[in-house]
Amino acid sequence: MQFIVYKAPTTSSIADTPHNRQMAAAARPLVSVQPLPGSLNDMATDHVTTVALPDVMKASIRPDIVNFVHSNISKNSRQPYAVSKKAGHQTSAESWGTGRAVSRIPRVSGGGTHRAGQGAFGNMCRGGRMFAPTKTWRRWHRKVNVNQKRYAVVSAIAASSIPSLVMARGHRVESVPEMPLVISDSAESIEKTSTAIKVLKEIGAYPDAEKAKDSQAIRPGKGKMRNRRYISRKGPLIVYGTEGAKLVKAFRNIPGVEVANVERLNLLKLAPGGHLGRFVIWTKSAIEKLDSIYGSFEKCSEKKKGYVLPRSKMVNADLARIINSDEVQSVVKPIKKEIKRASLKKNPLKNLNVMLKLNPYAKTARRMALLAEAERVKSKKEKLDKKRKPVSKWLLLYALVLRMEAVNVNGFLCVLRMSEQFDFSGIDDWQNNLEELAAAKAAGKAWYKTMISDSDYTEFDNFTKWLGVSQ
Amino acid sequence: MGGEEAKVAVPESVLKKQKRNEEWALTKKEEKLALKKKNAENRKLIYSRAKQYAQQYDEEQKELIRLKREARLKGGFYVNPEAKLLFIVRIRGINAMHPKTRSILQLLRLRQGALTFPQLRFQFRKFKDIDNEIFNGVFLKVNKATVNMLHRVEPYVTFGYPNLKSVKELIYKRGYGKLNQQRIPLTDNSIVEQGLGKHGIICMEDLIHEIITVGPHFKEANNFLWPFQLKAPLGGLKKKRNHYVEGGDAGNREDYINELIRRMN
Repeated sequence: MQFIVYKAPTTSSIADTPHNRQMAAAARPLVSVQPLPGSLNDMATDHVTTVALPDVMKASIRPDIVNFVHSNISKNSRQPYAVSKKAGHQTSAESWGTGRAVSRIPRVSGGGTHRAGQGAFGNMCRGGRMFAPTKTWRRWHRKVNVNQKRYAVVSAIAASSIPSLVMARGHRVESVPEMPLVISDSAESIEKTSTAIKVLKEIGAYPDAEKAKDSQAIRPGKGKMRNRRYISRKGPLIVYGTEGAKLVKAFRNIPGVEVANVERLNLLKLAPGGHLGRFVIWTKSAIEKLDSIYGSFEKCSEKKKGYVLPRSKMVNADLARIINSDEVQSVVKPIKKEIKRASLKKNPLKNLNVMLKLNPYAKTARRMALLAEAERVKSKKEKLDKKRKPVSKWLLLYALVLRMEAVNVNGFLCVLRMSEQFDFSGIDDWQNNLEELAAAKAAGKAWYKTMISDSDYTEFDNFTKWLGVSQ
Repeated sequence: MGGEEAKVAVPESVLKKQKRNEEWALTKKEEKLALKKKNAENRKLIYSRAKQYAQQYDEEQKELIRLKREARLKGGFYVNPEAKLLFIVRIRGINAMHPKTRSILQLLRLRQGALTFPQLRFQFRKFKDIDNEIFNGVFLKVNKATVNMLHRVEPYVTFGYPNLKSVKELIYKRGYGKLNQQRIPLTDNSIVEQGLGKHGIICMEDLIHEIITVGPHFKEANNFLWPFQLKAPLGGLKKKRNHYVEGGDAGNREDYINELIRRMN
């Protein structure tokens, strides 16, 4: 398998303005012209010539436009068809009306034959006229804007120079040395089909022609009986430059191969079926003429008045290259790998850590509050403890006695009677402890007061005197 | 694109990307350090401010008590200065409202919800917390203008003078800030800083202080706070249809608003 060199434009910067492109036109990639086998040889002197790639091949490839134009242009060679305008009306049928237990469709008048009384005229009737009889004045042809047609052709030519597209269309171009395939002008003077085939074999185009020959088959469907009996694949398209070249006759009988003059390129041939990428074999003069026929992106064409090749929306469509270029990368912001998502809101009044996040002073505030609370509790407890300290019964009694002595005799007797209930076992301890004595006195006083207030004695005059208290 | 090096065939693009990533990582690290430092400083500042405010509040409270005691001692009375801050809660729903009161409530941001911002309506539909307008609360400065406005909407709201505890709890528990037209929960001081940093309010305590002492930037601070969405009061309302003085709930209930806030927060 031979190595195909695909000459892609290698522009180092992405700034490929049309101006640049024109300047680079002189530096357009070169296509080498394939020399033909020895017998036709007048190229012996100059072994390998090259041709600059014409600007047409650099035009933008627009399958949508090609499809649109092709579908419209292919309607232009149609022949009208229609049914006879009399069909279905060559009766004098009339409806029987109502009242006869039959449908109201017009029925054939007369009698004596099957036909009498049969329905007529309706599209539903047997032998009636069809619905909407086809007319010859249907709009068969389509008008397409000239510029669009030219755009399509230009696109198709451009696509034909790209091996991947050509292969995708189904052509066998594996053994073709170069795309676009240009052969020397000596081919234009080929007269014999046998030499034509030899030439095809030389330049590696024969597998494609072979494929076309092998694919000849009978068309499935009714087309068979409508003068479209055979179908086959398309082979290479030979495009020649000089008018009246002999090669037309030589190549035209080869199955699958088609011939075209470069001045009259047909979209239906360049993009059969609306699909881009026909395998085209150019002769040297043909390809040289392309520049003058279609012009360049800046220069008007000579043959087509005021026509300039269409400009593409994006000059450099290599997105990856653009994105990774220095110009873009230098102003690009860093990639955000970590996406911050909203976290659940926690209540700071309940959750200390969250509170601290918001208010670091809260910790000390809370600590101080806790300490203050502990202080308060402690001091209160102390206060209460002091009041409620358990004093021994002895001291209590003694203190009471002392108190009573100070008051009067009757009270004293009262207390003595109460004292009979007490047991005097631990009597020795208390005498040593002065503190306890003082405490006992105080406790006694307090108890005395409560005794008085709890009792009802203060209500009665008798008791107030010897109890020494009033209400 | 494919530039072969001497020994190892590393494509140029890979090298470029490596270099770029390194640069980014470096700047990121530097930024992080700077941010950390700033945060640490901020922290100290916030601490000192919070402390200062706590002392201030304490002082004020004690001062008030002292003045009252003094007056009582002399047999006279100490009258509290008129309140500067109000908290309004919307009591009634949205049906059958006079257009003027409707627009006043709108001004007070008590008509907030999916229904007021039609362009946000579709956004809000997605979220669970479509604002119910009822039981929304906002703070309000007291001046002639606002008082007159409140007079017009009395039957639809209840309001009063919140104390420090109310303000604190509302802002901590149900505080959301308005950033880029979005309702963002106040989970971090950075959010407060982002919203009100240019007025010197950088933390929750600052915000609370500004609200409670109706400071010079009260308007911005209050507007930053999205209207509070409170829950229906535990224990219920007395009677929505009547004014507070008649035994109902509407209108000015002065200090008793605090009790209501406790039940609604």
